[in-house]
Amino acid sequence: MKFSYKWLQEFLPIEISANDFCNRLTMFGLEVEEITDMGAALDNIVVGKIEKINEHPNADKLSVCMVDVGEDSSLQIICGAPNIEENQKVPVAEIGAKLGENEITSVKLRGVKSYGMICSEKELNLSEDHSGIMVLNESLNVGTQLAKALELDDYIIEVEVTPNRPDLLGILGIARESAAMLEKDYSNPATIITEVATPASELISVNIKNSELCSRYTARVIKDVKVKPSPLWLQKKLRSVGMRPINNIVDVTNYILMEQGHPIHAFDLDKVEDNKIIVRQAEKGEKITLLDEETYKLNPNNLVIADSKKPMALAGIMGGTNSSINQKTTDIVLECACFNALNIRNTSRELKVESDSSYRFERIMDPNRLKEIINRTAYLIQQTAGGKITKGVVDNYPEKIKPKKITLRPERANDLLKTDIKTEIMRHYLENLELEVISKDNVLEVTIPTFRPDITREIDLIEEISRSYGYNNIDSSYDIERIENSHKRIMQRKMRNFLVNQGFYEVCNLSFSSQQELDRLQISEDHKLRNAADLKNPLGDHFSIMRTTLIPDLLQNIAHNLSQNFQNFKLFELNKVYFQFNNNTEEAIHLTGSLVGNYFESYWKEEQDKVDFFDVKGIVECLLNNIFELQENFIDFSHTAQPYYANNLGAEIKFKNKFIGSLGKINRDVLIEYDIEEPVWLFDLDFSSIFALLPKEKFNYEPISKFPSLIRDAALVAPKAVPVAEIVDIITSVKPDLIKNVELFDVYEGEQIDEQHRSLAFRIEFQSKEKTLTDKYVDKIFDKIIDELDDKKKITLRR
Amino acid sequence: MKEKINQILENAKEEIPACQDLDKLEDLRIKFTGKKSKLHSLLSKIGELPAERRPEIGKALNITKNKINKLLSDKKEELEKISQRKSAQESKIDITMTGRQISLGAKHPLYQIWEEIEDIFIRLGFEIAEGPDIETEYYNFDALNTPEDHPARNLQDTFYLKNGNLLRTQTSPVQIRVMENHSPPIRIISPGRCYRNDKVDASHSPVFHQVEALVVDEDITFPDLKGTLDSFVKRLFGPKIRSRFRPHFFPFTEPSAEMDILCVNCNGKGCKLCKNSGWLEMGGAGMVDPAVFKNVGYDPEKYTGFAFGLGIDRITMLKYGISDMRLLFQNDLRILKQFS
Repeated sequence: MKFSYKWLQEFLPIEISANDFCNRLTMFGLEVEEITDMGAALDNIVVGKIEKINEHPNADKLSVCMVDVGEDSSLQIICGAPNIEENQKVPVAEIGAKLGENEITSVKLRGVKSYGMICSEKELNLSEDHSGIMVLNESLNVGTQLAKALELDDYIIEVEVTPNRPDLLGILGIARESAAMLEKDYSNPATIITEVATPASELISVNIKNSELCSRYTARVIKDVKVKPSPLWLQKKLRSVGMRPINNIVDVTNYILMEQGHPIHAFDLDKVEDNKIIVRQAEKGEKITLLDEETYKLNPNNLVIADSKKPMALAGIMGGTNSSINQKTTDIVLECACFNALNIRNTSRELKVESDSSYRFERIMDPNRLKEIINRTAYLIQQTAGGKITKGVVDNYPEKIKPKKITLRPERANDLLKTDIKTEIMRHYLENLELEVISKDNVLEVTIPTFRPDITREIDLIEEISRSYGYNNIDSSYDIERIENSHKRIMQRKMRNFLVNQGFYEVCNLSFSSQQELDRLQISEDHKLRNAADLKNPLGDHFSIMRTTLIPDLLQNIAHNLSQNFQNFKLFELNKVYFQFNNNTEEAIHLTGSLVGNYFESYWKEEQDKVDFFDVKGIVECLLNNIFELQENFIDFSHTAQPYYANNLGAEIKFKNKFIGSLGKINRDVLIEYDIEEPVWLFDLDFSSIFALLPKEKFNYEPISKFPSLIRDAALVAPKAVPVAEIVDIITSVKPDLIKNVELFDVYEGEQIDEQHRSLAFRIEFQSKEKTLTDKYVDKIFDKIIDELDDKKKITLRR
Repeated sequence: MKEKINQILENAKEEIPACQDLDKLEDLRIKFTGKKSKLHSLLSKIGELPAERRPEIGKALNITKNKINKLLSDKKEELEKISQRKSAQESKIDITMTGRQISLGAKHPLYQIWEEIEDIFIRLGFEIAEGPDIETEYYNFDALNTPEDHPARNLQDTFYLKNGNLLRTQTSPVQIRVMENHSPPIRIISPGRCYRNDKVDASHSPVFHQVEALVVDEDITFPDLKGTLDSFVKRLFGPKIRSRFRPHFFPFTEPSAEMDILCVNCNGKGCKLCKNSGWLEMGGAGMVDPAVFKNVGYDPEKYTGFAFGLGIDRITMLKYGISDMRLLFQNDLRILKQFS
């Protein structure tokens, strides 16, 4: 349901901002889905007065106006509209105003400066009228913001009304709810009924055939009304909530629908045969043409409002054309009734006809407010269409629905909510919501008004208390954030799953090791890995410390499996390592993996590729970039000092300059220690350190560029000493925002190239987010890249 | 002249259909219609003929040329079809050879079960807590109401470090660490590695794995404990598995219990696995002892709770029918490969 903030304020003055109000409403249980600032589009547009019009020296159709915009300032504005006149009040968009996409700036038009713009209705998005400038009412004050002057400084608030709260389907209901929330009083709109002597009951009778389907029907008759367009205030109100003004009678019924939340229907009395209103089930095959100009075939499941001869309306859903108000109507019957919610819903579904009325009657409406509402309607009709209100309300209310009484035990509420709310406060909360409360022996006797059909049990009252108290104020003692390790565990599972998919088998070794094991790895005495926790009562010398690395166990697993005639296999372990620095122990989770033999376990094709450095690096890069999602440009690989790797074939890995692991080929001497004859490639990642460094930023997708990319290949001759990473950096740095990707796709060393150099071929992709790049422009950048490479590293294009 | 033309056509009719080879067909094309062909030379001599004969001979030459071309193109099409069929024949593959697959590895069986247990408890609304393997005496014993004269504190059962710390003998210290830092309600599990200075045999290892559970709130009852554990074993071993609780003693629970499940091997009839009892011991459980609550500053009048510990290694062995615990730590590919 949508309502206007200004309209609401007619019943309940609100001192907080619309945004604050909406936030509180949401927390109170009425969720605000959208809030639209109607005035925002008119910022920096003010009421101006054209003081003087001069001809433009260089253009026949343009005029040079001096416009008073208040605060003793006048603007010179060039205007081309045909209808400008001196002393007109007009909307002036000042410099900085935004009309759609265009921001108003000072411009020179044919040699004369213009400092703003006089606007048409279309330019202000107020109508489609673009025939000339908008001329404002003379009474408006110069310099006033236009939004305020035209009373467009409003917010349209859309709330989600849950099905159990029919009372919130009108602005008045929202005012009542908001008043309870803000602890303020709201006012009911005025109704003054002046009746003529003729009793309404002489002009209309109401007969309800089935009180199950219609619990109450009230009617009023107004004679001698004049059907015409509604006054402006009414039209404006309806437009503000997206309704189209039709005529004063229909508009008032729509106004009441919005204000009171209750549908009203008006019949043309002349068209009511025998002056009888009969609420009955439709006969089988009976037909009716509704205001949507569709004809519907009815059956006894459908409830109609009929006269003695014909159905005049589909009850609670839509009126028929045969009894509707038109320009000739003089006497009207107003209907304000309550129907069976389920029946309305079924008929609406069955006939596929919906309306603002059926939307409300599908919920349980309050029959006890009907008189009040029909009187308010009659009053407003008289205000807008004149006429004589005949005496009395014709009221057929077979079985009065009485308010329910519910007992609330305050202790029970506090137990359930784990709160300590005093009974007096609870009483206050309930009374704020217009429930009647009597204190009685430690309990509260609460009378539930019939507009709150949702409250039927004690627990419903506890809910009212809890939202009044504020869900935010209720304790939250279940602290999930601090206990939960799910992110850490998810990462571990991802690593496992990834490696398994790459053909790795997981191993699980005991946590014990020995210093001798570290000797076999050629670990120096002062190496970090020597800081192990010693066991006081070990199972043996070989189990005398808590292991500080997973590598020795993995090497033993490799040796064991090689001896079982496995030749090509990959293993990993994800487990804790333990350190002791002085007296403090530390634990960290490591991920250590190994590759032996061929990269692919087995297949018959051709000669198999033995695992090499880039196979291992590829796996590590995949883990770092894709599993951990570390930003690639912060990851560095450099030659390592770890003693167990072969010369030049080991690398240490850093992220943002922090050590996170290493990889490489295990050196010969270490392998001999483990009786391994096959080459062993290994990676060793410190998961705990990586986890601590994981980016915390939220991931946002990057929109795809609408413009095509261009590719240039560059075959370069580079000194061997220059690493590829450095070349890529140089290339990218020439135009970082346009160079999308630089990919190495060929490496060549040999005959045509001298020994100090190698040939590297890069594919460079250029793409802009803003425009289509031309070949010419990309060629220019490409030339610049080549110059840059030559300048910095003596790298040249291969001829 | 006409005869010559006819002769060319006759030759072509003979030679072209007999050709069996695309290369040779190309030779024939040159021979019959090429620049140096007889036909071509006749065509070039047409100007030398008397004017009245030119149309007749020209027409005959053209017809012949078209006929030869048709012969050539028909033959070419035929030969191409044959050659395609042949090459398909030659490239026929042995589809019985194994496909080139990216063979998957496998998680260690212990971690497969570990993850399965975690998932079951997560679905039951538990969170996961973690604690260190290297613990202090306080968390492993004192706070868990295990007095100094308790047999569990015997040096023989516990691995001590030279710095005075110890390797946790159970995951229960995590209970204390969680309760020290959080207020009730609590509902956690804590899987992890534990250590006991046991003799190594088919059912004992100095390193083993446990999952600990702890639930604390107001009004947590013994039925809650039973229901939770029963629900867990049914999810893990299947809906037919029944559980039973036997009185037992643990210093940190009161009342304490041991839980058995119906033997997964013989369904309770009695077999070697369950030593003919029909039941398998699953782990220890009980209502958190008020003394433990006092140690962490909870009001034992207000809060109640339960805890239990289950052996992950044991569950893995039961699930997969592994009879020797040592196999789990051998890391032999002949075993690991069975779990992919």
